[in-house]
Amino acid sequence: MRPILLQGHERSLTQIKFNRDGDLLFSCSKDHVINVWYTHNGERLGTYDGNNGTVWTVDVDSESLFMVSGAADNTLRLWNVATGKCLYTWEFPTAVKRVAFSEDDNQVVCITEQRMGHQCAIRVFNINRSGDGTKQSKEPAHMFNPIGSKATVCAFTAQPNIIITGHESGKVSLFNVKTGEEINNNERAHSEVVTDLQLSPDKTYCITSSKDKSARIHDTKTLMVIKTFTTETPLNSAALAPNRPYVLLGGGQEAMQVTTTSLRQGKFETRFWHKVFEEEVGRVKGHFGPINTIAVHPKGTYYASGGEDGFVRVHHFDESYFKTELYGDLQIED
Amino acid sequence: DERKALSLRRAIVARRRELLSELSVRKEKEETSRRAEQSRKEKEEEAKKARDEMRAKELERNRKERENIRIAEAKKYAQGLLETGVIKSDDLERMEKMANFDTENLISLQVEQLEKEKKEMNHRLRVVSKRVDHLERAFRKEERPLLAQDYER
Amino acid sequence: MSGVDSIDYSDIEAKYRVEYDDSLDNTIVVDGVPVIDKSKLDKLVTKICKEFSKRGVPIKPDDLFMPWDDAKGKNKGYLFIDFRNENDANAAITAMNNHPFDAKHTFKLNRFSDIERYSDMNETFVEPETEEYTPREHLRAWLADPQGRDQYVIYRGEEVQIYWHGKPSQCELANKPQWEAFLYVAWSPLGTYIATLHRRGVRLWGGPSWKHQQRFAHPLVKLIDFSPCENYLVTWSNDPIVVPEGAPQGPQYFSPDDEGNNIAVWDIKSGDLLRTFSTRSDEKEAASATRRMVWPALKWSPDDKFVARVTPDQMISVYELPSMGLHDKKSIKIEGVVDFEWCPLSEKDREEAEKAANIGPGAKGGKKVPENKLAYWTPEVVNQPARVTLLSFPGRAILRQKNLFNVSECKLYWQNQGDFLCVKVDRHTKTKKSIFCNLEIFRVREKDYPVEVVELKDTVTDFAWEPKGERFAIVSSSDPNLGNPGPGITIKTDVSFYRLDHAKNDFKLLKTLSNRTSNAIRWSPRGRHVVLATVGSSSKSELEFWDLDFNNEDPNRRDGQVAKEDWGSSIQLLGTADHYGVTDVEWDPSGRYLATSASAWTHTLENGYAIWDFRGQELLKQIQDRFKQFLWRPRPPTLLPKEQQKQIRKNLKEYSRVFDEEDQRESETVNTELLAHRRRLVDEWNAWRVRCKKERAEQKGQ
Repeated sequence: MRPILLQGHERSLTQIKFNRDGDLLFSCSKDHVINVWYTHNGERLGTYDGNNGTVWTVDVDSESLFMVSGAADNTLRLWNVATGKCLYTWEFPTAVKRVAFSEDDNQVVCITEQRMGHQCAIRVFNINRSGDGTKQSKEPAHMFNPIGSKATVCAFTAQPNIIITGHESGKVSLFNVKTGEEINNNERAHSEVVTDLQLSPDKTYCITSSKDKSARIHDTKTLMVIKTFTTETPLNSAALAPNRPYVLLGGGQEAMQVTTTSLRQGKFETRFWHKVFEEEVGRVKGHFGPINTIAVHPKGTYYASGGEDGFVRVHHFDESYFKTELYGDLQIED
Repeated sequence: DERKALSLRRAIVARRRELLSELSVRKEKEETSRRAEQSRKEKEEEAKKARDEMRAKELERNRKERENIRIAEAKKYAQGLLETGVIKSDDLERMEKMANFDTENLISLQVEQLEKEKKEMNHRLRVVSKRVDHLERAFRKEERPLLAQDYER
Repeated sequence: MSGVDSIDYSDIEAKYRVEYDDSLDNTIVVDGVPVIDKSKLDKLVTKICKEFSKRGVPIKPDDLFMPWDDAKGKNKGYLFIDFRNENDANAAITAMNNHPFDAKHTFKLNRFSDIERYSDMNETFVEPETEEYTPREHLRAWLADPQGRDQYVIYRGEEVQIYWHGKPSQCELANKPQWEAFLYVAWSPLGTYIATLHRRGVRLWGGPSWKHQQRFAHPLVKLIDFSPCENYLVTWSNDPIVVPEGAPQGPQYFSPDDEGNNIAVWDIKSGDLLRTFSTRSDEKEAASATRRMVWPALKWSPDDKFVARVTPDQMISVYELPSMGLHDKKSIKIEGVVDFEWCPLSEKDREEAEKAANIGPGAKGGKKVPENKLAYWTPEVVNQPARVTLLSFPGRAILRQKNLFNVSECKLYWQNQGDFLCVKVDRHTKTKKSIFCNLEIFRVREKDYPVEVVELKDTVTDFAWEPKGERFAIVSSSDPNLGNPGPGITIKTDVSFYRLDHAKNDFKLLKTLSNRTSNAIRWSPRGRHVVLATVGSSSKSELEFWDLDFNNEDPNRRDGQVAKEDWGSSIQLLGTADHYGVTDVEWDPSGRYLATSASAWTHTLENGYAIWDFRGQELLKQIQDRFKQFLWRPRPPTLLPKEQQKQIRKNLKEYSRVFDEEDQRESETVNTELLAHRRRLVDEWNAWRVRCKKERAEQKGQ
């Protein structure tokens, strides 16, 4: 099936996210805009206006009631998904690089950038879900500065009050948000900056991508590296495909680094790897620049990729994707 | 009184005559208009029939024209296929006999043919590939004893 | 290349260590002296002194001592010379060893102390030989691989690996040498040696153990070139030779006479330096500094008997091997000469030459060995057209000349069996504005060397003969961007195939593939298959795999009698592929596989290599950071006689039966192994998942 091309951003995509039902796709971009789309036909449902800088990150709660965004205008914003209204704005000294809801939707974790004498900070806010959502507390419930290399990505794990983070140095860590204590880490998870971190549905494992050209699956409790996928290009995003034993990787040499003149026209590919065998199984071409972000529909029927080229491409998996059994009769646990 | 009664009867008769004559005139008038109406209807029907006939003829002509174009197109397509060697003339004859000679069928025939060709090509390449590989290996196998001799020399 | 040099020259240094207390180091022994009687003695002594003096090592009759066999009344065929000191003695060895004194006598020079050493070991004095390197290993052992596989070398980062290539389960590492600090690697033309270029010189490796085989001490060497039969090596450095005081001396080292030169010719077996040249001496060339270095600077005759170099505008100088003396003591003076190429030998030529060599040069009945040929061209000068000349050598007879007009540039392309010579002539119109091209094709095997012309409207950017074939392919272009390369510009090209039409004896177009971007033609070494590639482009990297005999049932049909309607009809595209950023395309020696690579020497995007079969199916792809070089190991010509080859062809079905079974077993092994591997991975994964899920459930239940 032909991919659906979502044309609503004027600059490169920074993150895309499906809601839990998978009927909506949120996208944010360097053009300051957040868009929400109907997944099945690619129609734009609306925009969330108000940010005054690159929107780096979005996340949506499990009920599709609230959405949070973080942006280069040093704000964390809470939005009403249905009306598009900004309900609350938190302001910081530096840009917000990553946000994520907790499993019970009652908390949001956010990473702020290390810049101009300000340390990288991780804050957790309690979200007041009663009423119209405009009454939020200004102060974070918890805050700490991770020592050492700054954090670039984060998410709540299955264990209460424990978040998993990826860092500029390539480190992956577990932090207790209440105490700010680093309870476990893997300094050598990657050799360069961790660019994305996505959790499995039950949050017991996660996949990270890195500029070191590899993606890895980690046990979120022990931080043991379970699988490694080594490609030939710096990676910006990695996603797990629910119900199928595949992972999706995206990236590409940045235009700045392409020393030998023009780009590979339309040849930036989403790479499909077998999750267990660590073998590449296929590629999907299409973007005209590096792929910055990939998300898979929660039921595993679609996937979407957002590129440096400003496009979001939504692909339906075709029949062969579900039928092909590379592994004979072997049953693989999700 | 008599005279009065007589004059009244006369008057009545006269009136009746008058009425009768009026009635007959009216009847005549009605008859005329009825006839006129009928003739108009008849004429109208005739015109409609003529129109319908003409339309049918037109439709038929269009249909024929389309059919001709379709056949011409198919023939042209078939010719192209013949020229490029995708299908053979006996395939065509068979199709013409079965009266399913149109572009759509030709396309499916072409697809079938291309599929077949691809298969044949693959088969042939496998054969060529095997021959090239086995010949080289056979040469190398037979060269091995000569190598030992070459070394001794 | 500033790292610590790992080459260990200590053994050679020890061997040639200067020991001043040894008074015999200034005495040398000369073997190969003509045996004469007393009446000719004076004449001989005079001539020997003259020859030595001519080569820059003057001696006087008094320095000579010639042992005499009184019984026979003749000399013994060798003599001793005393030099003033050891340095002079060394210089004499360098200058005169292997010197051809006359047609029958070649001088062999050795230090007397070395001879003494030999004699000490052996009671009976044997005629001293030049130190012959006898390989203990069979240098061609790799050809005896039971699976008939080929090898290739890859150079990545600072590491070299040599692999076997065969069926999927037979691809394995053959060797991972611990070579350090070198520029690049190169195979010798028959695959016997692999060379590494180091700061202090070239090293050759080979044999089943990949042992060190030879070294050539040419400091800062940048380019090398083997002779076709692997007897000699030419090395080049940008830096002129300097012989520092106390530098090791001997036949394997530069002497003060070599100072200032920068090209050296070496004997591979002995490791001896034969002669050095300079590429800088030519003043005209020095003046036009923009002129690009031409490599190889010395061109070898296909039989290793001669090596020649051109002095542009003046002459071609041909040197004889192994003496490296100027043949006939004079160069071939050719006013205006630009370039030349030797004619290759066909397989048949080689067989005949070998036969003749076995019979011996003087024997009767032996066929006369055909002479070498070379072709050269001279450009247009006032009142004189440009000219291509075919010359025999050593006879120096002009076999054929062809005059050409309005010539901008010529390029000479020999078919690899020496059957045809194509001269690609770039011609300009009278206004000198536009360029078009003529192909002047010499049929070298025919009487009077007839020449046919193929006229073309466009510029031809690449030309390639089909190996052992009568076909050639060209890349031509009329793209206005041609000649103005720029970022992102990909030149549009046409590729055309031509074939000799025996009926008319001219070359006729078989087919043109138009509107392409291909810029490289790679014929399979076995002919028939050809790959067209777009290399060095940042936006296009296509590979097209073509078969030129797809519809010819008999693949060995060589009669060329193609019916008119069949002309070009059996050219078939077998497959297309793409290797992003491809910089190099190379067939394996058997024509079964093609390797493509993207070298970090050209760009840094997705470096690595891929191997395809001849129809364009990818068999292997390795993307590796800092990947530099992929080279198939060449193979020497087969030892199988023609008759036996024919027999094998005839009985191929029987061989095939055996190979089919082998292949079947091979693929089954692969499948079983792969399946077992995957099963293990799945079991591990599932065990871990079950553990995780259990823990998660327990945690939720708390």
